[in-house]
Amino acid sequence: MHDLQRLAPIDFDGPAQFEIRNLQYRYPNGQQALRGVDLSVAAGDRIALLGQNGSGKSTLVKHLNGLLPVQQGALLYQGQPLVGEPLQRARLEIGLLFQDPDDQLFCSTLYDDVSFGPLNQGVSLAGMEPLVRQALAAVGLEELLYKASHHLSFGQKKRAALACLLAMKPQVLILDEPTANLDPGQENILVELLRNYTGTLICITHDLLFAYELCQRAVVLDQGQVHHDYSMAELVADPPSMREHGLDFSFRLAGLANHKLPPQQAAVAAPEAQLVDAVAAAETTAVVELADYSYRYADGTQALNGITFALRAGESVAIVGENGAGKTTLLNCLMGIYSGVGTHLFAGHLLGKQQRRLLWRKVGMVFQDPADQLFCASCAEEVAFGPRQLGLPKDEVIRRVDAALERVRLGGYQDRVPLHLSGGERKRLAIATVLSMDPELLILDEPTAGLDPQGEELLLEILRQLPQTRILVTHDPFLVAELTQRTLVLHRGKVLQSYSTAEFLADQNQQSLNLLALSYKSDCSREILELQHRHEHIHQHEHFHEHLHRHGELVHSHPHQHEHEHEHVFTHSHVADSTEHCHSPRGRFHEHPHPDHEEQEHSHEHED
Amino acid sequence: MHISDGVLPIGVVIGSGIASLALAAWSVRRTDSEDLPKVAVVTASFFVTSLIHVPLGPTSVHLLIPGLVGILLGPSSFLAILLGLLLQSLLFQFGGLTALGANALMMGVPALLCGLLFNKLRGSTQKQHVIVGGLVGGGGTLLSAALLALLLFSGGEDFLGVAKLALVAHLPVFLIEGLISAFTISFLYRVKPELLNQRFSALQQG
Amino acid sequence: MVEGQIIQLPLVLLLAALLLLALLSLLAVKVLKSAFVGKQTAQKEPDWSVPVVDADAEGTSLFHRWDVRFKLVALLGFAFLVVATRSPEAAMIALLLSFSTVLVAQQPVYRSLKRLLAMSGFLGMFLLVMPLTVVTHPEDILLVFSGLEFLPFNLRGLQLALAIVGKACAVALLMEPLLATASLARTVEGLTRLGVPEKVAQMILLAHRYIFVFLEEARRMKTGMQVRGFKPRTSTETLQVMGNFLGMLFVRSFERTHRVYAAMQSRGYRGRFPAPFYFKVTAGDWLHAGVWLLLGIGLLVFDRLGAA
Repeated sequence: MHDLQRLAPIDFDGPAQFEIRNLQYRYPNGQQALRGVDLSVAAGDRIALLGQNGSGKSTLVKHLNGLLPVQQGALLYQGQPLVGEPLQRARLEIGLLFQDPDDQLFCSTLYDDVSFGPLNQGVSLAGMEPLVRQALAAVGLEELLYKASHHLSFGQKKRAALACLLAMKPQVLILDEPTANLDPGQENILVELLRNYTGTLICITHDLLFAYELCQRAVVLDQGQVHHDYSMAELVADPPSMREHGLDFSFRLAGLANHKLPPQQAAVAAPEAQLVDAVAAAETTAVVELADYSYRYADGTQALNGITFALRAGESVAIVGENGAGKTTLLNCLMGIYSGVGTHLFAGHLLGKQQRRLLWRKVGMVFQDPADQLFCASCAEEVAFGPRQLGLPKDEVIRRVDAALERVRLGGYQDRVPLHLSGGERKRLAIATVLSMDPELLILDEPTAGLDPQGEELLLEILRQLPQTRILVTHDPFLVAELTQRTLVLHRGKVLQSYSTAEFLADQNQQSLNLLALSYKSDCSREILELQHRHEHIHQHEHFHEHLHRHGELVHSHPHQHEHEHEHVFTHSHVADSTEHCHSPRGRFHEHPHPDHEEQEHSHEHED
Repeated sequence: MHISDGVLPIGVVIGSGIASLALAAWSVRRTDSEDLPKVAVVTASFFVTSLIHVPLGPTSVHLLIPGLVGILLGPSSFLAILLGLLLQSLLFQFGGLTALGANALMMGVPALLCGLLFNKLRGSTQKQHVIVGGLVGGGGTLLSAALLALLLFSGGEDFLGVAKLALVAHLPVFLIEGLISAFTISFLYRVKPELLNQRFSALQQG
Repeated sequence: MVEGQIIQLPLVLLLAALLLLALLSLLAVKVLKSAFVGKQTAQKEPDWSVPVVDADAEGTSLFHRWDVRFKLVALLGFAFLVVATRSPEAAMIALLLSFSTVLVAQQPVYRSLKRLLAMSGFLGMFLLVMPLTVVTHPEDILLVFSGLEFLPFNLRGLQLALAIVGKACAVALLMEPLLATASLARTVEGLTRLGVPEKVAQMILLAHRYIFVFLEEARRMKTGMQVRGFKPRTSTETLQVMGNFLGMLFVRSFERTHRVYAAMQSRGYRGRFPAPFYFKVTAGDWLHAGVWLLLGIGLLVFDRLGAA
């Protein structure tokens, strides 16, 4: 049984900006993506569109500016269906930010890209330059006006894409996973920009902290239907329903809270940790050791500058730093793809150029985007690729393929096509392709990028069980806390800090070195934790729910409302310091078993 | 291998230019006008594949793949190839602008034929697709080489030696491209078979 | 078979000539390399990078200030007139003219030389093969080296080859002043003003933009294969992996086309790009273009009269 919350919580006057009724959509390949979506959006709403991967969020959003035609049901924008002339007009008022900014920057220079929309709106050439400058200045890219987009970094591209939309002064802004692949610094800039935006905001995201910061209303999609539509605060205060939709991120909050060391404690811990380090270092030789290692790109950029660090067997190290700090370059050097200057030891052996080229046999790397790593027509071939290159006998290859797939919970996927798998499955497959080579050192680059919280939790579970020595590159403080003991902070190609993860996290919380830009996130976490304060008590409840019930001879099932009394676990907040229980309005609507209730005959009003 | 400026007699330069313009116009007409930007983006990926080097003994060859372009784009392939060649001469600036027409014919005509043949012969099983794809892919390259030789020979009998050499030099490439085409078709057949349906063709969309 | 005028030469001379040629090219390579130092360090990997078309779009030379439409008509017209010539002399004059434009347009000479180097394979074949394979006419001069009687070296073939090389290089050298002295968007806009359909112009710009995106994708995929131990060899296995690689690249590019098109539509695209440029024609533009076309015609006349 599932209680469906169908009422829009925010009352608004006047006509809705978007009015969606019973919207259904089936893709040409037969996949039913939307199964009757009902949604009203008021001008000025700030909506987080949530749900598991594949729940229909992107499909719904593509309807909002007419990229997909309405097959069944109705969608009205300002009272008109999106076809013909109204559609063209609507597109000029609705800005849609794509996940990959390269899709959106299709002109030769930023100037052309930003002016594309306004020119279609009919802005005159004379008024264009100040408009473009203003839009780019708003996202901090004014000096790149005439640059071609392929010279920009990912974060810059993302902001440029946003500038393209802002220049059109949109009434509605729709964002598809805006924080994916952004470093925390860039994310903060984005949050600032969006906070100041006054129009309607609709935001698809898995990042609940980001959504919590920017949105007031949460719409949860599940299998192509709206399952919840309530305020953001109510959503986060309701872990059971979040879990049901794969949105529960409480595990992240708990993780972060545990690592909150008071400053004094951290200070005491530091010398101790170093002592332990020193003792351990004496006992085992390092798996990898770099000393005074530097790398310079062909164009003269000094990407790594005098890096010195060692990694012992079984240890897990996080490498953090802003985009462009040299993390990826460092990984490429550790993999032997780049060859820099300086000492590079692997398992105690000094590596020359020749040996560096053979590092792939010992070091496995999982890329941020699995698409860059998967290129075979079946999962079995994909996983077997590495072992085959190692020259292993056939039956050993098969054994390793099966074991690796089993390990990442993809047993039985041997004949599936990698390209047809979901994002989370592809990620795990990419890990399997590396595990099958039995590496001594495993490098993970942003392993949870693009995963929904459920996928993230599963991946974490798998990663925790791996015995390999690990290097983790991430912007996510939670992953750092969960998976590593030591943290290496890179800044402009240099090692800024190398200490225990606990110390690093303490640093982050004090914001003395706010590399992961935790400020808004930790504020959000704290608020949410308070909202999730939960305990039991008894209340008289009015229930709105769906279950089998009997009216005389008639047995049927439909959502209905009636009152009865029983015990509930409530998640709720206490206003200020009062002990009074203040339930959010939707406390009335929730799941609970009906042991006797379903057999009892009862009456209630039927609408039709 | 492309013909550079100054090799062909001016009559052939102009004639091939006009012929390829006519073919390009036909190709544009056969493409859904909505799909032209899409063809442009796909062309970029063909451009990138043409930069890939495949080792061949001590040296390496880069891919031409007129056959694959034809198989994937059908009637739009001529347009894509003309565009790709234009970009090549713009970006690498080896010149070749005056020989653009000749080069487009050399690559584009085989592409069109390959697309047509693949569509006619491909059958329904994976095996058929792969065999036909390989033969057509290799055949496309062979035909390109033959056209190259023919164009060179148009300079007069003095050019017979060069034409022969160009033909012979393409023989190993023919083998490599045939095999690669077969493998690519096999991959696409299993992973995304709808790409083999020449989707940008105006008539197919009906 | 018609016999030409045969000049017998000892084999030693051939060896000496080859040695001299080898030394010269070695020297040339040395000089070029030293010219490149600082500009670019040598790359060990096969270089997949694509040069930038409009590297020096901001400049003040005569070519930068020239209206692109006139520049296109004049220089392309000149190029066609050059390829219409036949004699090596005319080709050499064209080569000199083109080279002077590189200097006037303030383009770095090393870049132009690099482009010529890239053509050397195809053109070298002509220089090597033509003298050995052309049909012998009665007035031809043949060099025959003792010991290599079966392989006469026809000087007329060398002349033909030299003319081809000269013309090819002349046109190639024109490319820099033609294309690098304005932004690509501007050049393409100029093309549309000259009658190239707008849709085609958009396609050029779009394809150009996405080359860089796909190159980056291809590079990352290549690294992904490398870290799992892939090394290209001459083998069917390599070809199979390459086939998969191409397939994947195509799949990704087709998927991207749809997203790009959706993004264009989302910002109000209705089948045409808005044009962001103004063009202003001055008398200088006309004059400049006229001079170039006259030079070309003069060259052609010289060529045909000289031959007659």
